[in-house]
Amino acid sequence: MIQKKICMLGSFAVGKTSLVARFVSSIFSEKYLTTVGVKIDKKTLAMDGKDVTLMLWDIYGQDDFQTVQQSYLRGASGYLLVIDGTRRATLETAHTLHKMAQEVAGAVPFLVVLNKADLAPQWEIDDKGLWKLAEHGAAVVRTSAKTGEGVEETFAKLTRAMIGS
Amino acid sequence: MTDRAVLPPAPPADGLPARDDPDDLTSLRAILLGPTEAEIKRLRLRLDDRYSQARDVSAVLPQALVQCSSDPELARALAPPVEKAITASVRRDPKPLADAIFPIIGPAIRKAVAASLAAMVESMNRSLEHSVSWRAITWRLEARRTGRTFGEVVLLHTLLYRIEQVFLIHRKTGLLLQHVRAHSAEVADAQMVSAMLTAIRDFAQDSFRTTAQDSLEAFEVGELSVWIEPGPDAVIAAVIRGNAPKDYRRTLQDAVERVHLQFGEPLASFDGDAKAFDAARPILEGCLHSEFRSGDAPRSRLLPILAATIVIALAIWGVLAWRQQSRWSHYLAALRQEPGLIVISSGRTAGQYRVSGLRDPLARDPVTLLAESDLTAADVAGVWEPYQALGKKFVVARASRILRPPAGVTLDLHDDVLSATGMAPPAWIADAVRLAPLIPGVSRFDATALLRAQLDTVVRQIEGVTVLFARGTTQLAADGDAELRTLAAAVRELERLAASLGRTAQLEIVGHTDGDGDAASNLPLSRARAERVLQALEPGAMPHLTILPGGVGSGDPLRHGDAEADKQQNRRVTVRVAAGSLQPEGSPGR
Repeated sequence: MIQKKICMLGSFAVGKTSLVARFVSSIFSEKYLTTVGVKIDKKTLAMDGKDVTLMLWDIYGQDDFQTVQQSYLRGASGYLLVIDGTRRATLETAHTLHKMAQEVAGAVPFLVVLNKADLAPQWEIDDKGLWKLAEHGAAVVRTSAKTGEGVEETFAKLTRAMIGS
Repeated sequence: MTDRAVLPPAPPADGLPARDDPDDLTSLRAILLGPTEAEIKRLRLRLDDRYSQARDVSAVLPQALVQCSSDPELARALAPPVEKAITASVRRDPKPLADAIFPIIGPAIRKAVAASLAAMVESMNRSLEHSVSWRAITWRLEARRTGRTFGEVVLLHTLLYRIEQVFLIHRKTGLLLQHVRAHSAEVADAQMVSAMLTAIRDFAQDSFRTTAQDSLEAFEVGELSVWIEPGPDAVIAAVIRGNAPKDYRRTLQDAVERVHLQFGEPLASFDGDAKAFDAARPILEGCLHSEFRSGDAPRSRLLPILAATIVIALAIWGVLAWRQQSRWSHYLAALRQEPGLIVISSGRTAGQYRVSGLRDPLARDPVTLLAESDLTAADVAGVWEPYQALGKKFVVARASRILRPPAGVTLDLHDDVLSATGMAPPAWIADAVRLAPLIPGVSRFDATALLRAQLDTVVRQIEGVTVLFARGTTQLAADGDAELRTLAAAVRELERLAASLGRTAQLEIVGHTDGDGDAASNLPLSRARAERVLQALEPGAMPHLTILPGGVGSGDPLRHGDAEADKQQNRRVTVRVAAGSLQPEGSPGR
């Protein structure tokens, strides 16, 4: 069985924990997020005939990204940059977190997750902002942790990119 | 002889071939390029020949393998075909591979068995040590109070320390490489624990801004502590219950060093597949230590002896009790099978077996059955109340004791009717008929067989009597009176028996004369002699008998001689019981 470490990055309240909760049934309490700064969950996917166990590191997000424990990013095989479509500021934070992740984890696969698709009419982020990310080679996916839209596909896509299938 | 196609033509004076002569050009090309073309052709043939290719590759393959033996790509490339080859070989015939690994497997199995036995013996010793003592009692109470098993409570009180789990964690990613645990240790999701341990280490390191060399080495949670021993690429974490000695840290350090020594390349190139680290299990299992508190030396020696003595005594007592119980069961079964005995209750009181019930006086004495079950009268107290069994055997025996049948008379019982066969005096028969209904199990006495036997005797007696007469008269001969009295008595007995049986009989009295005189006088004389006997028999007092007198003259002589003795024997009267006689009373024959 193959194991892969995935980090969930993003500003506070962009929906990282909700996305993970949509994807797995957690056994650890969310209090770890505010104490240790990370909550870890596990999900095993069958990908092209192989079992891949994803260790999901849901890293506590604050708008002040300096407080993010950089060491948690170490050894990640991929990460998700989660943005709240209704808050433009989260896009800027994602840029910074992306740079930090690249410095710590290296050039590993990642996806930009535009969350809260269920609130699309209220989005503050336009295509121009997303193009900026695309210039860095980022693939953008739209999700809604509330409705489940795009959640499974996002993790599957990142996993496929990580194992190179 | 030369050939232009083979030998090039002589060159012209300027050394160049003639431009317009194709043969010359061909010859020139053959001279210049012929060897090269031949070499190319040879090489092409060699490249197209698979056999040659195989030979060339086989010549350089060993050297190539040696040169790239340190390249992990080679191991990765060879692994799938080697695995398939081994799998196919084992499926085809597992014996060669089994023979090959036998020298490894044998010692490994012996070592595993020895380790299991040692653990079992240690466990038994601990159980014995703590099975009989005041401390054990208090621990049992604690186990009941806390809901834990006794074993868990003993473990908690006697445990100095036990390494319950050992994790091998990839340092950079926090992913679990391998995990082992002690028997019965409770384990959460090892992968999650591995990741959280890494996160906690990172958290501690980042929070206190320590250097990379200064990392979290241990933390305590309740009864547990976690010791972490980092290496360059992997970390070993041991979950410890109790207080491990300080030198256990050295064990972890050795393990980390061995892991890096043996798995340096897989650690450096780890990409999430932990399969290579299955081989690290023995190293981690070597870290699963435990140590228990030993009790007082004298007690630890005495208690097992005491426990063993108790166990042996209990075993002996059990065997003896089982044997005695088996004997008792056998005795009860024998009592229940014995006719004339009814077991009502049984049991054991004050160390003695007790049985009570009913016993026919004619039944076998229960005491005599004790010996057959290896019991003595002292072992069993029996209380038997008398009763009369109604089984055939007992009824017949009881009737024999009461009626005392004469010798030759045999009693039998059928449907509550007592019967007898043989010859019995009438008085006994009369007593039997009177007394038999008073015997339990007998409704009446059937004397038919006895009376029939007597009837046959009387008939033979009557027909055996010959009454002789004087010559030419109806006067009895010298012994005639005695014969006549005998006959009369037999006929009276016949009348009595016929009356008893409810039957009737017909007797024919036949008179005879000797051959003297003529037939005209002899026939009336013979009839007169029959009448003479009839009168003596007093037929009026015999209602069950029909007696018919008759004479045959000299027509049926007993003897044919002319001597007086012969003639005397012919002057006679005989009595015959008619065939078909002795019909039931009221039948048409009467």
